[in-house]
Amino acid sequence: MGLQSRNFKELYKKQIRKPTLRTNLSKATLQAVDSRSQSFESIDFDFLQNQAKAIKEETISSLNEYLSQYQDAAEHNRCKVFFAQSAEKARAYVLDVARSHNVHTIVKSKSMVTEELDLVPFLENYGIEAIETDLGEYIVQLAGEKPSHITTPAIHKSRKEIAELFHDKLGSALNPDPPFLTAEARRVLRNKFLSAEMGISGANFLIAETGDAVIVENEGNARLSTSAVKVHVIVTGIEKIIPKFNDLRIFMRVLGRSSTGQKMTSYVSLIRGPRSAFEKDGPEEVHVVLVDNGRSSLLGTQHQEVLHCIRCGACLNVCPVYRNIGGHAYGSVYPGPIGSLVTPLYFGKDNAPDLPFASSLCGNCTEVCPVGIRIHHHLLSLRRDVVRLKKSRLQDFVFRSYRKAMLRPGRYELIGRLGGVLGRAGLLKAVTKGWTRDRELPDFPVKSFRSIYKTGKKS
Amino acid sequence: MEDDREKIFGAIRKGLREQSRIVAQRNPRSPLLSPMSADFDSKFSRFSSELARVGGETFVSNDLKPLLDSVLNRTHAESNIFVYDEIKEISPTGISSLAESRRVAYSSDLSVGYDKREVAVFDSVIAPCVACIAETGTIVFHTEARLPAALCTRLFVVAPAKSLVATLDEIFQEKFSSFQGSNLFFITGPSRTADIEKELVTGVHGPKEVLVLFYRA
Ligand code: SF4
Repeated sequence: MGLQSRNFKELYKKQIRKPTLRTNLSKATLQAVDSRSQSFESIDFDFLQNQAKAIKEETISSLNEYLSQYQDAAEHNRCKVFFAQSAEKARAYVLDVARSHNVHTIVKSKSMVTEELDLVPFLENYGIEAIETDLGEYIVQLAGEKPSHITTPAIHKSRKEIAELFHDKLGSALNPDPPFLTAEARRVLRNKFLSAEMGISGANFLIAETGDAVIVENEGNARLSTSAVKVHVIVTGIEKIIPKFNDLRIFMRVLGRSSTGQKMTSYVSLIRGPRSAFEKDGPEEVHVVLVDNGRSSLLGTQHQEVLHCIRCGACLNVCPVYRNIGGHAYGSVYPGPIGSLVTPLYFGKDNAPDLPFASSLCGNCTEVCPVGIRIHHHLLSLRRDVVRLKKSRLQDFVFRSYRKAMLRPGRYELIGRLGGVLGRAGLLKAVTKGWTRDRELPDFPVKSFRSIYKTGKKS
Repeated sequence: MEDDREKIFGAIRKGLREQSRIVAQRNPRSPLLSPMSADFDSKFSRFSSELARVGGETFVSNDLKPLLDSVLNRTHAESNIFVYDEIKEISPTGISSLAESRRVAYSSDLSVGYDKREVAVFDSVIAPCVACIAETGTIVFHTEARLPAALCTRLFVVAPAKSLVATLDEIFQEKFSSFQGSNLFFITGPSRTADIEKELVTGVHGPKEVLVLFYRA
């Protein structure tokens, strides 16, 4: 489907008109915000946020060393580590692994990086069946859509819509009961798990010290995608490294709470490598694909800390803009406040010029971010960059003239009078058509404040 | 296929060339607002309430009887039960009596690289664990076969009482970081989802029921 963020303005208008979207979204996000707050009640959020931020700062400031340390440890654990600078390279490697094992079916657990790479459609083009096994991801895959939330991919869909989808695609009874729909998905996907030769997952963290990949989930599908297969491929970003095993005491306490309001998610798998001599199951090969795809370009810039993100999705749930327009409006696999940063920063500001403006700059996102990313500050500074990029000669002329006018009282007065005349004649409305479509242009008084003031002083 | 390691490392070096290394001041203090006692009863009560909150159940006993009674209550004659060998070693007689009324198989029956369809038939699994964490109601596994516990509907866990630790801080330490084998696995209650209108549903892909027996040997 590719990046659609250039069309943000059309996309959001289309989304906002969908009758059920805002109801579905506000119900789900408000509930998520509530559970998040409750889950942090018995724990010191500020302490955890400071520690998580400090650890991420340390990691990113020495990313080379930690990546190197991770690679050594993972290879020592018999994993195969592959670095891919671009999406094409990462996809080609995964395809290569699949082909070399004569793979027909792949079970995939949730991973934002694989969404970013458009990996599933790519593999399917080569005749390999790649099934999303996270319930939300499975729903959007069946619907031929993209996820609309980082942690709740089908947040935009109502139970009724899902029931209709299952009825059409799986032949299920038209029953909108979530336990029924979940059981249907379990039935279909269980067969896929039992026939798949390969599993693909993301990783929430990679531990440099031990070479472990940490996979956090609730449904058990990642556990199966990484256990019931001969080959397991982990596809993740180079920024997912954390230095020490002990750092998990911090990240495990913030991730579940921030993403789903749980003290701990149902499942956490620490994958160290392929099956060992004393084990009877588990994959015979584990590959780790470390993807750059624009990430390293943030290093040394004022936006470096955006790489701290642990993709918890908390900033989406509290964002008043996201709650109204939903994830698909952003035209990117990364929606919401973090998506409005990551999309232009990873894939080019030209490709997402409007996203930094998709924010009220209320700062809710910054407040909840467990790794302390100053999201709204970055959005503001990206706006500046985008405006500079888009700057037209006319715009430049207008602003320069405005500046000159503001510096000289005589000119300021002249422009004021001219504006009044044009405004009263209705000409300004014509010129500012785009701006006034959703706003009211004020009435232009016959007498300006200056002239009233002057008259008053004389009398 | 050639990878891009050098290109990526070059780009990182270039990006970071004007920055000095930052070292985080890691503070070992606990972030919990009310400290947890180290005695078994306090830990047990916290573990039970945390696991119950997410739909799990807990017992404590000097033998496996309460757990085996639960297995019998929740299964029927047609049920297939998978038992890890460590459990059989704890209570050979208890397990043999279970095997009189249920179809029971043991982890030693599995060959290396067995066909996964073989274990998909087990609706219930009795498994050992290496630790339990009171703070979150979490069970830590490190077993020779991962699939049976991931595929079943009911998971019965036997935890030595001394394996119950108070907080996550005790788990993410040297002792656990040096585990042998391919994986360390944490379960906190039944498999669950809230992907459909945020309504909580259990038993998505993994166990729908999780019971833990603390065994005071
Ligand atoms: S920016 Fe912060 S709040 Fe948003 S997804 Fe990333 S870690 Fe979570």
